[in-house]
Amino acid sequence: MISRAQRLLFWSIVWFCIAILSVPTIIVVGASVTAGNIITFPPDGFSLKWYGAIAMARDLRQAFGRSVIVSLICLAVSVPVGTLAGIALTRFRLRFANALQVYLLLPFTIPLIGSGIGMMLVFGNWGILGSVWPVGVALAAINIPFIVWSVSSAATALDGDLELAAASCGAGRVETFLHVTLPGVMPGVITGGLLMFVLAMTEFLVSLLLTDARTVTLPVQIYNNIRSIITPDLAAISSVFVVIALLAVWLLDKLVGLEIFLKSK
Amino acid sequence: MNESSSAGATRARVPEPETTAVRVRDVTMDFGSGVPAVDRASFDLEAGKFLTILGPSGSGKTTLLRMIAGFQKPTSGDITINGKPVDADPPHRRSIGMVFQKLALFPHMTAAENVAFPLKMRRFDPRTIPDRVKGFLDLVKLVGYGDRRMHELSGGQQQRVAIARALVFEPELLLLDEPLAALDRKLREEMQLEFRRIQHELGVTTINVTHDQREALVVSDRIIVMDGGRIQQHARPIDLYRQPHNSFVAGFLGVSTFIPGEAAEGGLTVGALQLSGTHSSRIAAGEPARGAIRAEQIRIGPTPDSLARCDTKLAGTILDVIFEGERLLYVVEADALPGIAFHIYHHDPESFDLYQIGAPAAIGWNAQDMKIFNAAV
Repeated sequence: MISRAQRLLFWSIVWFCIAILSVPTIIVVGASVTAGNIITFPPDGFSLKWYGAIAMARDLRQAFGRSVIVSLICLAVSVPVGTLAGIALTRFRLRFANALQVYLLLPFTIPLIGSGIGMMLVFGNWGILGSVWPVGVALAAINIPFIVWSVSSAATALDGDLELAAASCGAGRVETFLHVTLPGVMPGVITGGLLMFVLAMTEFLVSLLLTDARTVTLPVQIYNNIRSIITPDLAAISSVFVVIALLAVWLLDKLVGLEIFLKSK
Repeated sequence: MNESSSAGATRARVPEPETTAVRVRDVTMDFGSGVPAVDRASFDLEAGKFLTILGPSGSGKTTLLRMIAGFQKPTSGDITINGKPVDADPPHRRSIGMVFQKLALFPHMTAAENVAFPLKMRRFDPRTIPDRVKGFLDLVKLVGYGDRRMHELSGGQQQRVAIARALVFEPELLLLDEPLAALDRKLREEMQLEFRRIQHELGVTTINVTHDQREALVVSDRIIVMDGGRIQQHARPIDLYRQPHNSFVAGFLGVSTFIPGEAAEGGLTVGALQLSGTHSSRIAAGEPARGAIRAEQIRIGPTPDSLARCDTKLAGTILDVIFEGERLLYVVEADALPGIAFHIYHHDPESFDLYQIGAPAAIGWNAQDMKIFNAAV
């Protein structure tokens, strides 16, 4: 039996954690609905005028649009690569499997500022720095371990005999992949894909190095705005990010269920 | 090549029955560890028969099954199914249904979709698929469960889906890779009888792999006992039990007591003691040999004189008494054979609880039940 005092202690810890985790979000969302002209919490009255303001601001809207494009390009690159790599690393006996694994996790070991500068130099050399798509490719490269991990853990959880069973049912290699392996790891693909999308939407450091005035993405635009004058519209944009993240989590729950996070290996 | 000429010689010696469904010739699998996992295995299986490959873990039985399925390529040797060599065929080109140890059902499909999968992959006429799936779900007694997903089915129901999926395309051969090993005893015995019923109903040639001697005896028409990668004996269940070829087979099925000694004319010499028995193969007198006697073939009584119908009688002491429900297991040491613990089953309802630990008792058996094996094998 848990005593009264223990119960009290546990619940205070729980509420403390919940409070610590949600305070930044509450402050940002609170500050975004202020009726005043300076960013403050608690808000000075209630108004949605700053949401109106960001909706009307052309630079923010364009930056948001570019961020969406960058994220979609990142998905288009990372989902096929991450899925195939994740499956290959767990389902097949590969030569150099360990080396390959280290290579795919390399982006984690290099500081973002390092990979950012490296890519800036290479992209500059190739003369592709002024476009939006290289940013998407770059974000796919630095975040690829997330989707590789997510797909690998789904593939590890699959019964090792599934592919053999498909073969004894008469399925060739391609049919086995399409009908059995891929649907089997789909929860991992969806999880990894949503993660890649949200990470690309919010990535700042590498994007800062790879964009210029014509190609800024939303996080970089926000940074530019902070440097001039801090107004509540920044809180409103941040709240939009919070909503996007919540949408991603909701979608994940609808599509694959959140248990995959709770029991992921 | 050497293999083909020796296989040819075998073919010439043994007249080939027309209905041979599976022919395995000198199949060897060497993973390179020095000892082959399967060492020159050869057998024929008649169409429609249920064969069990029985052996302890590491005996090579699963490797042999996987080579027949096509998942592993033999280092040497030939496998023929219905007269057709299959060595060059990948698994999906072989007409083999398989039930896996962990079932390997497709978790993202319903029961009916699992059963329909082989039909789609093997290009059956799409109009006939729903009826065929329904028929096979009916055969395995899963009517009305077609829409369930795998996690909504019990262990026994999942077994049935796996059987239906393996049989729905009417394969030439059904392989069972210890699918019952993980079930509890009651469900396992129920499913053993189900396998037998379905196999009889469809008449499909079946190869089953297990380490469970009871399962092998209950379900099979033929049993192959494997150990150390080699086939030790291939026989009908009753012959395997009653006429084991070597001491491994005698020890693996049932409970036997082994007596080391030297071969003698019509029996075994242990020190100064002469025991009469039946030689299972020719052993020259004086060679090391082992006698084996089954627990149910030894009689027990208060004194040697009370064992009237036995031709070998020994006085001894009760070492242990183990109650097993339907019978008692006595462990007895004979005065003339110190160090050997005789295991004796006793299930006479008239005299159930006769002896206590430490009490004197006599044991006896008949010479025909004492099998003498070459100790070197």
